[in-house]
Amino acid sequence: MKIRASTIVGSIIMLVLIAYVVMPIATVFLWAFAEKWTYPALLPTEWGLRYWHTTLARADVLSALRLSLALSVTVTLLSAVICLPAAYAFARMEFVGRRTFMMSFLAINAFPRFGLIVMIATLFLSLRLVGTFWGIVLVQLLNTMLIMIWLPSAAFRGVDRRLEEAARDVGAGPVRTFIRITIPQAAPAIGAAMLLTFVSTFYETEGAWLVGAPKLRTMPMVMLQMITGQIVVQYGAVLSVLLWVPSFIALLFARRVLASNQFAKGFGA
Amino acid sequence: MGSEGTSTRNLKGLLLIGPPLAVMVCLLLYPAGVSIVQTLQETAADGSVSWSLARYHRFFTDPYSVANYVRTVWTTVVTLILLIAICLPIAIYLHFTRSRMAAVVQALALFPMFVPGIIVAYALIRYIGPNGLLQSLLEVVGFNSYSSPYLTPWGPVIGLVWDHMPLTLLILTAGMAKVSQEAIEAARDVGAGYVVIFHRIILPLMVDSLLVVMALNVISLFGSFVIPYMLGPASPEMMGPYMLRTFSEVRQPDFAAAQAVITFLTCSVFGILYVVMLTRKQDV
Repeated sequence: MKIRASTIVGSIIMLVLIAYVVMPIATVFLWAFAEKWTYPALLPTEWGLRYWHTTLARADVLSALRLSLALSVTVTLLSAVICLPAAYAFARMEFVGRRTFMMSFLAINAFPRFGLIVMIATLFLSLRLVGTFWGIVLVQLLNTMLIMIWLPSAAFRGVDRRLEEAARDVGAGPVRTFIRITIPQAAPAIGAAMLLTFVSTFYETEGAWLVGAPKLRTMPMVMLQMITGQIVVQYGAVLSVLLWVPSFIALLFARRVLASNQFAKGFGA
Repeated sequence: MGSEGTSTRNLKGLLLIGPPLAVMVCLLLYPAGVSIVQTLQETAADGSVSWSLARYHRFFTDPYSVANYVRTVWTTVVTLILLIAICLPIAIYLHFTRSRMAAVVQALALFPMFVPGIIVAYALIRYIGPNGLLQSLLEVVGFNSYSSPYLTPWGPVIGLVWDHMPLTLLILTAGMAKVSQEAIEAARDVGAGYVVIFHRIILPLMVDSLLVVMALNVISLFGSFVIPYMLGPASPEMMGPYMLRTFSEVRQPDFAAAQAVITFLTCSVFGILYVVMLTRKQDV
């Protein structure tokens, strides 16, 4: 049997990726269900769920979870309200400077994020927004705009105009056509953009830390502290599994959009 | 639609894009402008304001700051080279292969996109750290002299490559779409080897994508925080962790802002390159 060169190359790449990409995540899952795991055992020596109870009983975990969820919901909804009308305008209307303005939103990525956050935080110090909920919302909002404008805008552009015209022909008004024809066609991309925004805001660390700490502590900050400061390894593992699995499932729904050329184009591909 | 006047149309469009534009002015242009101006000013005890380069002078004469800056440049360059060395072959492989294995490779390489930085950092500590799973696995096959990259300059590199791989690959695979199977076959028919094909056909078509990958990654890597904070050595540290410590632990927001401006200026060349590439490419 002749083995093709591409099969050999593919196998090598696959093995390297499994060792590099999959194994670290598998390690976290093993730790989350380990009661005892001493080096150099390949698998935990005692399995159990004890640390799930102790992690979830911690007051700092619960309050951080509440804060992070509230922040993510607020930022996502605010971003949608601000950005979706603009996404529609970019896709479907002709106006002066349209291309330039679109470029300027895509150019947000041309700025180093952390440097920008430090500048915003310095400004917020003088505006007394440091240590406030809305301070964190504002610093996280900027991050979300590119995706919330770019993805829905591409979707609005892809809406089949003939369907809209057909609806108008049989007597539907502009609002009815928009709600019944335009929105449903763009809905998957809008949903994906909102999911992405929600998950990325939930895990946003730098802005929340600079503007929120030490008064407000979000989930990533608690996780950082548990990972670097705690002797018990399992706290970090349990939290990682607990928080990552739901976000992974959410992102899987958006994966067609995430892994697409359209998404990459938003970054200049 | 035709009945609408140009000015009404302009007004409607501008009104709809007004809110996000306002957010961008208030949260990007204004803070950046204020920071740049304020880090160049000094307020004397009597309240009078004068222009001064003192903060920047301090940064570039302080050995610790300079060491952090050099470490950041080193990490950025090494990570970028590794990213391209890893992602370009995968992109080429994916472009020419249609098989179940190629689909698995693609899924595996894009998987990090679904994992937040903080979880990656933790996972890598447990995996590549001292007495981690990787060390145990290596000892099973008889390799006993593993020294962990955790808390060495290579720690952040390993984590940042992990984190930046998916987007790099997406941009490179999008770029590979320009390389046609026919061109490759024609070249092969006249006797061109793999090296010649790569050098003469693939590389010239990929220049744009590689420039975008370079600009985007340099900007993102230079200001990265979570991964170097968790996987890197405490001293010297990268600019991200350094700025955060200066801001919230040392409590010198002015000096942190000066560091942020230096980060901005360093990345500005790549920022401009990125914007130029965007305007050349986009058909919005």
